[in-house]
Amino acid sequence: MSFIPISLIIWLIEDLLYLIIFPGLVTILVLVIVIIWLERKIAAKVQMRFGPLWVSKKIGGALQSLADLLRYSFQEVIIPEKADRLAFILAPGLMFAFATIALIFIPVGPYYSVLFPSYYTILFSLALIIITPIFAITVGWASDNKFSFIGALREGFLLISYEVPFLLSVVSMIIIFRTYDYISAVQSQLNFLPGIILNPLAALVMLIVMIRTTGRFPFDITEADSELVLGLFTEYSALFFGVGMATPYVELYNFSLIFSLLFLGGWWPLNINVMNPVYGLFLPGLVVVIKAFIVMAILVFLRAVYPRYRLDQAVRSGWSYVLLLSILSVILSVVEVMFLR
Amino acid sequence: MSEKIFNIDDLQNINVEGEKYIILQIGPSHPGSGHMRIKVWLDGDIIVKVDPDIGFVHRTSEWLSERREWIKAIPIVERIMLPDTVHANLAYVLTVEKLLSIEPPPRAQYLRSLVAEINRITSHLYGIGIFGIFLGSSTVYMWAFGDREPFIDLMEMLTGARITTSYIIPGGVRWDMPNGFKERAETVLQYMERRLKDYEDIWVKNPVVQARTINVGVLKKEDAISLGVVGPNLRASGVYYDTRKHQPYAAYPNLDFEIPTMKNGDSYDRLLIRVEEIKQSIRMIRQILKDLPEGKIVADQIYNQLNPVMKKNYEEKKRVMFPAFMIHMRPPPGEATAKVEAGRGEIFFYIKSTGDKYPYRFRWVTPSFRNLPFFTHVAVGHRLADLPTIYGSIDYFPPEADR
Amino acid sequence: MNEVRKPRDPVTGHVKALAKGFKYLVEPNRMTLDYPAETMKLPPNYRGFFTVDDKKCIGCSMCEMVCPPEAITMVPRIIGEGGKTLPAPEGEKEAKGPKRTKRPVVNWGKCIFCYFCVDVCPVDAFIPTQVHDLAFEKDNEYRPSYEEYLKPPEEPYKNAKKVVSKADLKRGVGYEPAP
Repeated sequence: MSFIPISLIIWLIEDLLYLIIFPGLVTILVLVIVIIWLERKIAAKVQMRFGPLWVSKKIGGALQSLADLLRYSFQEVIIPEKADRLAFILAPGLMFAFATIALIFIPVGPYYSVLFPSYYTILFSLALIIITPIFAITVGWASDNKFSFIGALREGFLLISYEVPFLLSVVSMIIIFRTYDYISAVQSQLNFLPGIILNPLAALVMLIVMIRTTGRFPFDITEADSELVLGLFTEYSALFFGVGMATPYVELYNFSLIFSLLFLGGWWPLNINVMNPVYGLFLPGLVVVIKAFIVMAILVFLRAVYPRYRLDQAVRSGWSYVLLLSILSVILSVVEVMFLR
Repeated sequence: MSEKIFNIDDLQNINVEGEKYIILQIGPSHPGSGHMRIKVWLDGDIIVKVDPDIGFVHRTSEWLSERREWIKAIPIVERIMLPDTVHANLAYVLTVEKLLSIEPPPRAQYLRSLVAEINRITSHLYGIGIFGIFLGSSTVYMWAFGDREPFIDLMEMLTGARITTSYIIPGGVRWDMPNGFKERAETVLQYMERRLKDYEDIWVKNPVVQARTINVGVLKKEDAISLGVVGPNLRASGVYYDTRKHQPYAAYPNLDFEIPTMKNGDSYDRLLIRVEEIKQSIRMIRQILKDLPEGKIVADQIYNQLNPVMKKNYEEKKRVMFPAFMIHMRPPPGEATAKVEAGRGEIFFYIKSTGDKYPYRFRWVTPSFRNLPFFTHVAVGHRLADLPTIYGSIDYFPPEADR
Repeated sequence: MNEVRKPRDPVTGHVKALAKGFKYLVEPNRMTLDYPAETMKLPPNYRGFFTVDDKKCIGCSMCEMVCPPEAITMVPRIIGEGGKTLPAPEGEKEAKGPKRTKRPVVNWGKCIFCYFCVDVCPVDAFIPTQVHDLAFEKDNEYRPSYEEYLKPPEEPYKNAKKVVSKADLKRGVGYEPAP
């Protein structure tokens, strides 16, 4: 009677806390700020220089991204006269929103579930991740600039070429684990072997697609600095620009979480089955987030080593080499399931 | 590619933007354009016509020099060819020495070649760095510009300034080598040889770089000769010509070096040839430091005009001061030409004097101006992403093309 | 003549590039000078700001004639006692009388530090220094008066650590503390 609404209210508050604090918005923002600073520091160390240093000199310039964010907040908003106003203003925000929403369905611990426990979390999270690049094309179309338009065309070409290998690599992991749910996938990895040993081809394909989708070098083609001025976000200023520059890092975080849950064993050293918030969510979540952060740091290091590919070379390799690798990975997982029963 | 040079008049009638072509202005304020505007007509992703629009940095160096004394043209000419200041300085002074009939002594010739070769290394590193940033890799850009620093510190130790040194004057050079220079130079050269191996691993043999630059921007041997291309771009297409071997000046007749040439003439060859030329320059600097002759560093005609204060300065600090006639030099009437092989190509000077205190006609042609046909003839038929590749590989420097 | 070349060594090329990048990530090899916490002491023949010796100068104006950007102007002075000069009476372009002379003043906005003036002086009256990073707040500080020009230029950042650059096999340019 009166305790039913109380438990409902507690359940709602718990969900809100998970969505906002851990692993929700605050975690994403802190991680994005740290990874942007880390990218500049890693590239600077390889290039024999300091990188950001003087903003907060005692901690090595770590507050530089925060200073940049403050600066973007106070800049003047400039909207070109002939741009499509509604799309110009809404598209970056929608891009960021859809990139963040996909995190609802990625559990970081066995206790985690938002609104209802589900057996189809892999499919839901993939569906939400794939929507985001459509808004990137809208961003390029809405500004009245030929360079943004060419950037949007390039994003469209690359998006189509690299979706099929991505889905096939996830399908091959679904075949091995025989489930559509992340939590059961991690459980079978804890009992047997991590996914990267079971199917290394799928891991390789997933890494290449991650590099493409988030725009890391050598697939930095939509924001090619020397051909198009800044690609999609040429005409943007102030917070729209800040949000647009931060969205690829949020997408990178999503993909890294999926990678560490499917391939690196999730919360692997902690074989936990206890259902309470601290041991069921906070500790395994910390392990998963640390693994995802290491994967992000490795991908961000590629900026210091590679230049960028040309568009037709990237599209051609997407349809030939990467597709071939993903089909081989599906065949490999079918063979494993049949013979290692 | 085509058998003959692509005829630019066939494309005269596409000047209007419409359904098939879009015009892209890679304009002056663009990260990939330098100080010029490149108008590109695109059919989808294929370039159909390129029109380079130069003249944004025209600083009227010829007009200024025709209204100033002869000695004042040295800083003007130096600041136009910025990565390559010593070669511009040397070309002008060789011309004036021909008009004045002065020969510098052997030690001055060797010192001139020394600074010229150090400057050639810094100029090639500049070109490699800009090529890297146009392809997207900021590592090579930072490495190349950081590796210029030890060489620029050598120039600072020898001449007193980092880049615009104004070191060469008619009759010789201005300062002599200080103590400790030879050991420092040897350390720097060993550092550079180790770094060239690092460049090979991370840049020259990088599969992404090879995929972007092999068979892009091919310039065949006959086209290179008939279009008038100069410098390492000419040698990358297979033509064996270098002013230091064929019309030598300064100390080059006594030095032992090779001229590398490549076979294919694409952008990858133009990258490889700059690395090879750095190796040859290191070899030449070692020979110069070993064989440096003793003696004066200015010609006798100038040394005999120094007053006692200036001669005391020369004995103690090895510094050549200017006698008063250098201000109002009046070379005898006549014409003179000089050619010098700079880092990017050949500089050509023609000066005519009528015995006045200003030159009558001051004319010079820089190598980047001669390399312009690359845009109009070679870039056609490639994709849009190949335009920065071709631009970066020919090492084009807009201020020196505009003079 | 134009054989089609394929990119050579695809797999080992990637591995070597990544290995070299990782090696530079881990080893200590920065070559940046942490200016303005550290400032460099420059070699003794560096061409920096310079002043003039009031007593040695004879007022021949050859420095004004040789300066390429025409940055030197001569101001009229009168020779006083002890060899020092005094300003000319107000409002006169040329000083008058048997003790008239001229002295040079440099416009720092135009000077290109080529040291033609220092080298052409027949009595070697200029005093060079190695200061190179002065900044001026107001526009008329670029054109000092003769008394201001006589004061030797001061180095900014006096509390910084002074270093001297040397050639280093590991990182190209190394810095060690100045003696």
